[in-house]
Order: sequence, then C-alpha cells, then structure tokens
Amino acid sequence: MSFLKPASARLLQLVFVLWAVVTILFFMFRLMPGNPMAAYIDPTFTVEQQEILMAQFGLDKPLWEQYFIYLGNLLQGELGDSFRYREPVAGRILSLLPNTLVLTFSSLIVAYAFGILAGAYLAWRRGSAVENIAIPLVLTTRAMPEFWLGMVLLAVFSFWLGWFPAGGTRGAGASYDSYFALYTSTEFLTHLALPALTLAIYSQGLPLLLMRSNMLDVMKDDFVTMARIKGLSNWTVIVRHAARNALLPVMTSFAIAVGYQLQGNVVVESVFSWPGLGRELVNAVSGSDYPLAQGAFLAIAVVVIAMNLVADLLYAFLDPRISHA
Amino acid sequence: MSGILLSVQDLTVSYRVGRGQIDAVDGASFDVETGSIVGLVGESGCGKTTVARALTRVIADNARITGGKMLFEGRDLAALPEKEMNALRWRDIAFIPQSAMNSLDPVYTVEYQLNEVLRRRGGMGRAQARLRCEELFDMVGVDAKRLRDYPHQFSGGMRQRVAIALALALNPKLIIADEPVTALDVIVQRQILDQLQDLQKRLGISVILVTHDISVVAYICDRTVVMYAGRVAEQATTRDALLQPAHPYTMGLRNAFPDLKGAASGVLTPIEGAPPNLASPPPGCRFAPRCPFVMDMCKSVVPPPVNVTTSHLAACHRADEAGALRQIAEKAETWMVPA
Amino acid sequence: MLEAIAGRPSRIFAAMFRSLRLPLNDPFAVAGLVIYAVFALTAIFADRIAPYDPTEILFTADYDLASDLMPFTEGFVLGTTSLGRDIFSQIVMGTRSALLVGITAAFMVALIGSVIGLVSGYFGGWVDMVLMRLADIAFGIPFLPFVIVLAAFLEPSIWNVVLAMALVLWRDTARVIRSQVLTLRSRGYVDAARVAGSSDIKIILRHIAPNILPMSFLYGSVAIGWAILTEASISFLGFGDPQSISWGYMLQDAFASQALAKQSYHWFIPPGLCIILVVSAGFFITRGYENILFPKVGR
Repeated sequence: MSFLKPASARLLQLVFVLWAVVTILFFMFRLMPGNPMAAYIDPTFTVEQQEILMAQFGLDKPLWEQYFIYLGNLLQGELGDSFRYREPVAGRILSLLPNTLVLTFSSLIVAYAFGILAGAYLAWRRGSAVENIAIPLVLTTRAMPEFWLGMVLLAVFSFWLGWFPAGGTRGAGASYDSYFALYTSTEFLTHLALPALTLAIYSQGLPLLLMRSNMLDVMKDDFVTMARIKGLSNWTVIVRHAARNALLPVMTSFAIAVGYQLQGNVVVESVFSWPGLGRELVNAVSGSDYPLAQGAFLAIAVVVIAMNLVADLLYAFLDPRISHA
Repeated sequence: MSGILLSVQDLTVSYRVGRGQIDAVDGASFDVETGSIVGLVGESGCGKTTVARALTRVIADNARITGGKMLFEGRDLAALPEKEMNALRWRDIAFIPQSAMNSLDPVYTVEYQLNEVLRRRGGMGRAQARLRCEELFDMVGVDAKRLRDYPHQFSGGMRQRVAIALALALNPKLIIADEPVTALDVIVQRQILDQLQDLQKRLGISVILVTHDISVVAYICDRTVVMYAGRVAEQATTRDALLQPAHPYTMGLRNAFPDLKGAASGVLTPIEGAPPNLASPPPGCRFAPRCPFVMDMCKSVVPPPVNVTTSHLAACHRADEAGALRQIAEKAETWMVPA
Repeated sequence: MLEAIAGRPSRIFAAMFRSLRLPLNDPFAVAGLVIYAVFALTAIFADRIAPYDPTEILFTADYDLASDLMPFTEGFVLGTTSLGRDIFSQIVMGTRSALLVGITAAFMVALIGSVIGLVSGYFGGWVDMVLMRLADIAFGIPFLPFVIVLAAFLEPSIWNVVLAMALVLWRDTARVIRSQVLTLRSRGYVDAARVAGSSDIKIILRHIAPNILPMSFLYGSVAIGWAILTEASISFLGFGDPQSISWGYMLQDAFASQALAKQSYHWFIPPGLCIILVVSAGFFITRGYENILFPKVGR
C-alpha cells in the first residue's frame, strides 16, 4: 500500500500539532492567572500536598525548566490534582471519556446514516418540491444553537410528555458494575435518547448536503452513463457506482465531524447534565479548577487532532487512485 | 452472410432548450449490413454522437426521440418498451465510449467491472466469468495479470483495449464506437483500429464507428455515412464516398484533410463558413449557405436522397452532375469564396 | 497593457467593489438580505423600539412583581422572565450584541484569513510553510473549548468571542483563499505582469484581490453565523457578560429559572428563533453567492 509514506508524514504532523497545542496550553495556564503556581496549587491544599505538587511540577524552578517537566509529566499521564475533587485529574478524565465518546459517536452515526440516505434521495429527486422544502429546512438545522434545540426537546419530550428523563446517564441511586453493563441497559438508552437526538439533528446537515452535492456531480460522470448503457439495473447504477463514488468525501468528513461534534458536546452535556468531558470543562472553568480545566481541554484537543489524522488516512485508504498510485 | 442488421429511417432526436426545441438529428436515414463496419462521419454538432446514443436509448434528460424508426433485426428500437430495450443493451448492442478516463468507474478494479456485465447481464457463474475475462483480455492483447488493476493504472491505449474487451463481453451483434481513438496518439490509434478490425472480421460483429476524422474512416470502414447539420448528406461504400463523392460537402471534406501518403502538392482548403444554427436551420438544403454549387432551388426545397448508384445515395439536387462537379471541386479556388 | 497593470488606485477600488456582486437573483438570498436589514435596523433603533430597559425589574399595575407573565398580559408583548423583566425588550436589545459580535468577528476572520491565505499562496516558499503550519495548529485547537478556557482568564465580555475567533477561526478561510490564489497564479497574467516589472503589491491589488474578494465575503458571511452561535453558547454556559443582555444570556436565564419545567415557551423560543433567523440569513446569502461564484448548470 503506497499510502504508508504519506502516513508517516501525517503522523509527524500530528505530533507537531499536539506539541504546539500542549505548549500553548502551558503558557496560557502559567501566565494568565498571574501566579504561575496557581496552575497546580490551590491555596486550600494541605502543606504536604502543596509540597508534593511543587516537586512534581517544579513550580519553584524557572519557567523553561517547568516546561520540560510539564512535558515529561504529560507523557507519563500526570496532570496534577483537581482542586475541587482532590483527586488526580488524569483518572477523572479517563472515567468521563467513555460517556462523552458514547454520546459523540452514537449521535454522529445516526446523523451520518440519515444524512447519507437523505442526501442521496434528494439528489435523486432533484428539482422537485421535496427538495425546495428540504434544503432550507436542513440549512435551518445548521443555524440553530444545539443547546437551544436540546432545551426545546427537553421541554417537549421530557417535561411535557414525560417520555424521556431530564438528564444524566441513569436514574438517581442506580449503579452498574461496568461501563458495558451501563451502556447496554435500557435505562441508559432512554437517558441517551434526547441528547443524542439533539446532536444528531444538528450534525446531519453536513453529510446530507455533502452527499447530495457529490451525487449530483457524480451522476454527470461518464461512467454512470456507461453503466446505464450497459443495461445495469437502477440500483446498481445509483448505489454501486454513483453513491459509492459520492460517498468518499463524506466518509472522510466523518472523522473531522467527530472533532466538531465534540464541541457541540460541550453545550449539550450541560443542558442534559451528561457527565462527560464537556460538562467537566465548563464546571472546572467556572470553579477556577485549573488542572482539571487543562486536562479536559487537552483530552478534547487530542481527540480532535487524532481525528484530523484519521480523516487524511481514510481518504488515502478508500480512494484507489491514491492507495494504488 | 449479409443482410440489413440495422435500418435507421428518418430518425429525429430533439433537445428541449429553454422554451424551444432543437432537432439535433432531423430525418437521418442509413443502413448497417451484418458483419460490416460503417463509419458515421461529420464535424462537431452534425448529430453523429446523438444518433449513436439514440441507438442505445440512453440519451440526455432533455432529449427525446421525436420521429422515425431504428429497425434492429426488424424491431423498432425507438418504440420498444424500456424493459425490452434494456434486455437488448450490451447483449445485442454494445458501446465503446470516447477514450475518456471517466468511462470506467475509478473505485472498482477492471475485473470487477468486467464481471459486472458478465455475471449480472450475462448470467455467468464465477468460474465461467473468470475464464471469459481472461479470454477477452487475450483477444484485445492485454495481460491477464492486469485484471486486478484499477482504471487509473492503465495508459490511454490500454484503457481503450479494456473498453473494447468490455464491449465484446457478451458477444453483441452490434458495437457502436463513439470516437474510440480520438484522444490517442497516431501510432496507438492505428494499433487500436487494427485490433478492432481484426476482431470484427473474426467474430462477425457489425460496427458503427462514429468519428470526425475521415482518415479513420478511410482506414477501416466498409461503408461511410456522412452527416451534416443533423441530416445524412451521403452514404456509400467508403471507396465511393471518398473517391467519387456525390455531395458537395463530402467533396469539400476531402480537400480539407491532409493525405499522409499522397502528393505533397495538396493544399489544405477548408470549407468556408460554419454549420447552421440548429435552433433556426435554413429552409431547404442545410449546406446551401456554404455550397459552391448552390442553385435557387436548394435554398427552399429539401434535397431527398438520390441514388447515384444502387448502393450510393446523396442528398443533393445536383447529384446527377456529380462527375462534373467533382472536377470543379478539386480546384482550390472553388472553395475560397463562400457562395 | 503596461498602464493597465499599473492601474490607478480609483480603478482598483472600482474593480473591488464590482467584484462584490450582490446575489439578487436567488429568492432565498434576497430573503436573507431582507432579514439582515430588518435586524440591522432593529439594532440601530433598539432603544426606540424596546419599551423597557432589558435589565429593569418591572411591576404590574397591582404593584406585584411582574414575574413569569404570559405574552400580552399587562402590555408585555412576549411576557416576562421569572425576575420580572420584559422579554420583548431583551430580544430587541439583544440584536445589538448579536450583530456587533457577528459583524466584528466575521470581519476579523475574513480579513485575517484572506491576508494569510493571500500571502501564503502568493509568496510560497518558507512563508507558505510557516503560515500553513500555523493553520495546522489552529485546526488542532477545538474552538468552543478554547473560548471557554479563555473565559477562565479574561473578564466576561462579548469581545472574548471575537478574540478567540480572530485567533483560531481564520483557518478555513486561509486554506481556501490560498488555494484560490495558487490557481490564479498558475494563470499567465501574473507572470506576465511580473515580467513587465509590476511590483508585487500592484499585482496583488489589481489582479489577485478582486478575484478572491467574493470568496472572502462568502466566508465572512458564514462566520457571522458562527460568531452569533458561539456567543450564544458561551453566554448560555455562564461565561458571557451579564451586563449586556444577549440572546444567549436570555437562554441561560431561562434554563436556570426552570423555564423548561414551567413550559415557558414564550421565554426561550423567541431568542432561539432570532438566532436561527440571523444565521440562516447568512447561509442563504452564501448560497446565493455560491451560485454566482460556482454556477452549476440547472442548480
């Protein structure tokens, strides 16, 4: 496969961007509060705790030394302790990550499945009345604040109709043995429904419009006409040839969409009290819990950067013109 | 051995443009004998590609066959229900497209695309299809190892061979080749044309070769149909059409093409003017505005096809004077001043 | 020919203005422009239109707190908040911060993105490499979280969003403008102008800028929507400026005051609708532009 060489170049790029973002974070959190130590030490920590952290992060050393210690700590997964929860940030982040990922991926998969089918359908029905209604409608879904949509759905389906719970991942007092047990429970699914629906409605616009646009272009290509001249069935022509080609850019957009979806997560998690990275970031910033804020931001950034790389690789992998150059 | 495989009679194909209609093909008639190669030649916009596509009944969304018949083995393709037409596609009537990169799906291997027609349209089993793939590649002179390659991995000439293999897949009776060698360099052109002719003779397939290049027609076509502005100007054996043309347009065409083997004295004389706008074509003969032999009658009365010999038809009011006109046509000055 | 290349400034600006090409054929684009106009006028005359100060706590005729009133009671067109403030006035005054943030941020994004894209594409070489690495980094920064983190350190203000967008969101515009410039450069007349001795500045202003301006405009108008949505999100999360009543702030207020449970649709639907209208307007205008820039036969 000849896409391995550009893959290593992309990997280098990923490392570079990651390093840059981490560095920006370092300087932001050290320089902005005024007191560089405020990045890791809360005045209410015990003296022993303060001393441990001082040593761990070299907070009494010059800034550039602190920088390398910081990088070293990062590589070991050491992110300091949360001011509010008095526990290691890394552990807390990892425990919240699955909740966010489940919400992100489930809503995105629904959005893409719907968007691709609807987009292909609209391309098929070009110029019809359906199209004239559907397109502005789709643009409107992209124009609405996701949290507002969440609010409306909550007000209607939870508070008024009582069909779905109002927030969280499970009922009060319920406990599960493992993530797996939690995620496969019906209780979880009813809690997941509204926030996932909110994000899905917001995100489906991109794959829909992209798929439609690609299909319209591809349908004009010669090989589609040839497929008809060969007498192949409509299904073969439209699905196996046109859609398969049109799908390429849409699939790669999926990877990038994960990055953008995560940002949508931030507000939606807050509306639905979903215990994920987004809500944690908001709470941490509100409470000036710097280590936790930094950790949450970093986790989100890592996923975004990784997904950008996946998008690039995916394109090279899926398009034979690149993978078999 | 021979008989008429395809008889196009008075075919009219119209395009809906804006509020009006353009007849890209307006009453075209010609025959194709079984086992022969017929060249369909003319300049851009004469309607030859439209005729070619009309025969497959896969035409643009805004186009319709508005008149005439296309009798293929006695059945009128223009009137066939879609289902029956589709049964004919590729099995009886196949198509070789212009040498466009885009005529093969870039995301599937060549083998997949061959199997697609062999199995879906030909009903073959996997093993049988595999054998046929290899057989086809052998026929067109492409290494069977390349079956697993993607279209973009082939050079232009190889891709055309693949296209020919595809067209031959189900042993069709008729192959329509739309400018199959236009985008290739001259040497490869000749190889492809040789191959095509060889296969055609061996397998007894009839071919309609659409082209704007008269030298291609001269090279392999048994018969020639010359089109101008949506109508058939002349049809005859290639020999007759090119050596003893009876239509002024064909006479002019001859002068406009360089003769690779002939004397260096030949000056290229193009035909002055341009084909008429088909949105508002001139009444009468469409070539009249550019014809050096025009009479008053030509401007108002449409010339019907006239028998110059039994197998030679020309749509010209002065076809009986063809011999004399030919002499005049050979002189370059005849064409210098528009009539 | 030489004079044309070394054109006079007035002609350069005339060319730039012509290149804006307002999309007046598309009905949706026209609707978008109308919406913009309506909101712009509302913003300008907001203090005349709004019956009350949006932060003023109001009382009914009986001297009770005018709290949670339904629309059209006691003369409050859209009712009141739990705290007794007039929703309609808040909506009207909210147009100001929305348009202010929207236009400023969009302008910054379009300007910075276009300049970077232009410089990168035109000069190439290491300038291009450095700037595109910067863009890569910008792409690696998740935008909304970044704004939130900024909010940790900066005073709550509507300008935080503008700052964050200026720092990060120029990335899309820059990449697209750059590739457009590269396409333009590959055409002969840039090299011809160079050979004729025209300076880089002149070439850029005379040949390149008028051709990329529509694209900048396009991205700018999309950025307006992004800015308004971001500002709304930030205010909703509680990081906005409590002094300036924005639509996002209204939504946060409603959410925190249990408006959902109380089914006070009159409180949280209007701000959302306003946001949708303004952002959609931007999209429709953009679509109108797209059809001018990239005409597709038969749409």
